[in-house]
Amino acid sequence: MSRTLGALLLFTVAGWAQAQTTPEALDWLRKIYRATEKLSYSGTFVYQQGDRTETSRITRLADAAGGTEKLEVLDGTPREILRTRDEIRCYLPESRTVKVDRRSDPRAFPALLPEQVAGLTEYYVVTLGEMRRIAGFTCQAVVLTPKDDLRYGYRLWADAGSGMLLKAQTFDRDGQTMEQFTFTHLEIGNVSRERLRPPRAAQGWRVEQAGVAPADLSRSGWSVSAELPGFRKIVEIRRMLRDAQPVAQMVYSDGLAAVSVFIEPMPGRAEAARIGISSLGAVNVYTREVANHLVTVVGEAPAASVQRIGNTVEYRPQ
Amino acid sequence: MKAKISALMDGELDAQELNEPLSALGEDAEAFETWRTYHLISDALQGRALLANDCRRRVVARLADEPILIGPLPADVARPERARWLVPSALAASIAAVALVGWMAFAPQQKTGPLLASVAKAPQPAQVVAARAAPPAPVRLPMTAATRDYLIAHQALSPRNSLQGMAPYVRSVSAESHPGKP
Repeated sequence: MSRTLGALLLFTVAGWAQAQTTPEALDWLRKIYRATEKLSYSGTFVYQQGDRTETSRITRLADAAGGTEKLEVLDGTPREILRTRDEIRCYLPESRTVKVDRRSDPRAFPALLPEQVAGLTEYYVVTLGEMRRIAGFTCQAVVLTPKDDLRYGYRLWADAGSGMLLKAQTFDRDGQTMEQFTFTHLEIGNVSRERLRPPRAAQGWRVEQAGVAPADLSRSGWSVSAELPGFRKIVEIRRMLRDAQPVAQMVYSDGLAAVSVFIEPMPGRAEAARIGISSLGAVNVYTREVANHLVTVVGEAPAASVQRIGNTVEYRPQ
Repeated sequence: MKAKISALMDGELDAQELNEPLSALGEDAEAFETWRTYHLISDALQGRALLANDCRRRVVARLADEPILIGPLPADVARPERARWLVPSALAASIAAVALVGWMAFAPQQKTGPLLASVAKAPQPAQVVAARAAPPAPVRLPMTAATRDYLIAHQALSPRNSLQGMAPYVRSVSAESHPGKP
């Protein structure tokens, strides 16, 4: 028994002595935020998850209107996403579809603002790591280690000069990398608006509007009780998904990681509901059925967390 | 049976496949010894000194002193061979649950699904109704084209974009979230 206690004590002390959040590390997160907001850049990055990699080009033009950004997948079919402050357009050549997600109020897109960075320390220990050279930039590592196993950790490498993020890894509780984004080439500044045009081929493609509107699900009898520690509801909307199918979406976040709960009536669905868990990189998707509705929980969080949130979805007729 | 016990530990069995090895653990001393040995090996490999302790004998001794609770079992659970392993006692239930949860906490995320299935099936005669009302155990599913719509809808609302701009959106249009069309 004393051996067990001793081992426990050792673990606790080791965990406590291991790391403390430093103000410098928090400043680095603010610096990365400002660089993401203020810089114009273009570059090529590789997304890695499992043994798969995919190369994409990203182009951003900062302007007074909040900036315009474009992501082009360079492997396989040329899928593209264009984002402005209040609109996101996905161009999908296989289905000749443009998916449009527009907000009348750009503040409806949640952000991790510099003044909210300190709040992360409730759930993560934020520390500075080593310096490393990535794609020609000397980078500072910032590590967010989760304080529990309800969320993943993050290793970020940002250019020591500009604060621009060059590399990001998501890791699980064993320190295993779940997915990784790495720039292989990056140029800061000098982006012409020409490069942010929508694809020419997309004229005549089918346009799917998300038709986002605010919602209050509790009024219609839905509840997500016993929320996961640290995950607070930050968004509650109604939207269209696929062929004009209305779906409710609630987003829970600890300030950095987010988990969406989608609720939609079952009858309109073409395919039968498949109950279970699937994953892509650090994203887990949990599907179950509640009161003849399909509940889909999507989150950049461990499968157990996504599942726990999903299992608390309840329907009580009013 | 050893292969099945190994698969059970790795969370590779479907809900339907769980019954056979779970029953064997209750009836077959050799099967149980295999289960224990495999856990010891796993614990040793992963350096988990705390879990490697063999508390089985002490637990069995405590169980002998526990009162036997009698309660109605639903038809599909009331199989005698399982009931024997599932010693109907609150302590047995909580120990089984703790053991599985403990294992889960240390297992890689991928294995959570099927292990949760075994937790849901843990013996809790007093709470059988509640256990049966729990949602069905999740299984591993591949990503489908339909999932991409959720990924796109989700990505736009993640605060993480603040630190990384558009890069995480690549998941929503990743070839893998749209299988069959590379």
